[in-house]
Amino acid sequence: MRNDNIKTLILGLGNPILRDDGVGCHVAMALKERLQEPEVDVLEASIAGLDFLDMLTGYDKVIIIDAIQTGEGTPGQIYRLNLEAFNATRHAASPHDVNFATALELGNKLGLALPSHIDIFAVEVADTSCFGEECTPEVTEAIPLCVEMIVQELRSTTPKI
Amino acid sequence: MKKITIDPITRLEGHGKIEIFLNDEGDVENAYLQIPELRGFEKFCEGRPVEEMPRIVTRICGVCPGAHHIASTKATDAVYHVDPPPAARKLRELFYCAHMIHSHVAHFYALAAPDFVLGPMSDPAERNILGLVAKVGLEIGSKVIKHRAYAQDIQAVIGGKATHPVCGLPGGMSKPITEEERKDFEEKAESLVEFGKFGLKLFDDLVLANKEYLELITGDIYTMNSHYMGMVDANNKVNFYEGDIRVVDPAGKEVAKFKPDDYLDHIAEHTEPWSYLKFPFLKKVGWKGMVDGKDSGVFRVNSLARLNVAEGMATPLAQAEYERMFETLGGKPVHATLAFHWARLIEILYAAERLLELCQDDEITSPEVRTIPTATPDEGVGVIEAPRGVLIHHYQTDDKGIIEKVNLIVATVMNNPAMNMSVRRAAQSLIKKGEVASEGLLNMVEMAFRAYDPCMACATHALPGQMPLEVVIYNCKREVIERFSRL
Repeated sequence: MRNDNIKTLILGLGNPILRDDGVGCHVAMALKERLQEPEVDVLEASIAGLDFLDMLTGYDKVIIIDAIQTGEGTPGQIYRLNLEAFNATRHAASPHDVNFATALELGNKLGLALPSHIDIFAVEVADTSCFGEECTPEVTEAIPLCVEMIVQELRSTTPKI
Repeated sequence: MKKITIDPITRLEGHGKIEIFLNDEGDVENAYLQIPELRGFEKFCEGRPVEEMPRIVTRICGVCPGAHHIASTKATDAVYHVDPPPAARKLRELFYCAHMIHSHVAHFYALAAPDFVLGPMSDPAERNILGLVAKVGLEIGSKVIKHRAYAQDIQAVIGGKATHPVCGLPGGMSKPITEEERKDFEEKAESLVEFGKFGLKLFDDLVLANKEYLELITGDIYTMNSHYMGMVDANNKVNFYEGDIRVVDPAGKEVAKFKPDDYLDHIAEHTEPWSYLKFPFLKKVGWKGMVDGKDSGVFRVNSLARLNVAEGMATPLAQAEYERMFETLGGKPVHATLAFHWARLIEILYAAERLLELCQDDEITSPEVRTIPTATPDEGVGVIEAPRGVLIHHYQTDDKGIIEKVNLIVATVMNNPAMNMSVRRAAQSLIKKGEVASEGLLNMVEMAFRAYDPCMACATHALPGQMPLEVVIYNCKREVIERFSRL
């Protein structure tokens, strides 16, 4: 359960049984073992859209880790993105749910206590259509790198970590 | 830092696609909806203990983990030949009503309502939940978020985990609920009933009061005279958690009623070379191609199908709304595809009323939530009504309960023939003589399948955070003349 002092959330997104799709969850699980600080919550989930609002509300800072397919990158490449990367994607044509940017904008309009700072680490993936618990080799190699990047990031803003 | 542009066209995997083929005259010859399928699930499961299945299947799909969890748990009951005690069944149903509300609310308010409130041809930049809030008022957004969170809280407390429940075990549930939890659920359920009423009132004011929309709902573009399939209780009322499967023909006459175990006698699957997904049909009627009518084995599942196969709703407010819908739309069964949305709102009300009943049941806090299995495991089927329709899990194990075979038939696949037909019909009605198809027109084609709330593969969470859809139009020479992509 959440402690009122905890204000940073690290959220790994993805499907941990769909090969590379689960890379965000794998990074989050590795971070969970590495980080013991009570100020940081580490979670993993396969969620989208409006569910984000329930999950992010109450945190000051959020780091999201997810899979991405840009079509240009090489598998294992890590991108650091911010919310502006999503500004072009706001239609409601998704068969399931609204997208991330729309959900956040709605949350802000409704005055929810959403984080002021959201960073996204996205790992370029190769196989997201076959079931399996392990990522492809290139993506597997990226997991410790991404963990290190996030630890460095946390240290730069929260010195005691 | 490298700046990148996220372009869904490049995300071909996990990508929904509508292809529209025009003839020499520029009219629509045919249209196809393609939904990608994830591969290797059966193999992934083989060799694992069957009691792990309820926890694995919540990962199949980020949208309906609760539905897969409960269907799978019921299948493990059957594999172990064990009946859960009454309190466990009630607790599962309580959890499941909350799941149904959570799913239906997102679909209606985020996806369906913008087409009506803003208009099907309105600017796509505004045709979304933000536009809805801007037009109807902020308080509607707050209501939606609050009640979805209530439904989520109930699932999390019973499920043991926020989004991926772990509560279901062969023969029951992992833990009972406390009196304090029950009381909290009861308060939330009362509020959810009011929210269910609010949704139907909103539909009245914004959709039914608009003659144009009512004509759109009942018009030819979105009509299909199919069979329907859904689960009913002993009184032929809608039930999401358990019962028999009932099938009615396009005239509303019962043509089959069977136990979930017997699904293979009633459902067969046709394949097409151009589609990853199979095309289920009624085995006893037969596959006659993608045509409607009583001689075609094409059937539909999901909200409207459940209401069409049933003789009513088991709770009073939902029953009154059920009667009003059929009265307004000219009797049973209703073949108007857009009425799936209306039926979904009636189901939200039913689920909320049922939730409240279960919260007030004396037995709901009973600690007796597990019957320990003693029989040798072998084979079992678990069926429930997922938000999107009938969901079947079928497992076979060795005598130690290790999975040897898995067969799942999910609701979106059941609706695959019907969705293709609905898309084709809408395209044929809306695109004439090669007239340049506008975004609004194509949105109206999409409305034909959006009504089914399809679950397109399961990687929905992957960036950019929603499933893109591509619409491609070909001329008579099979050359691409238009390509629209939904960002």
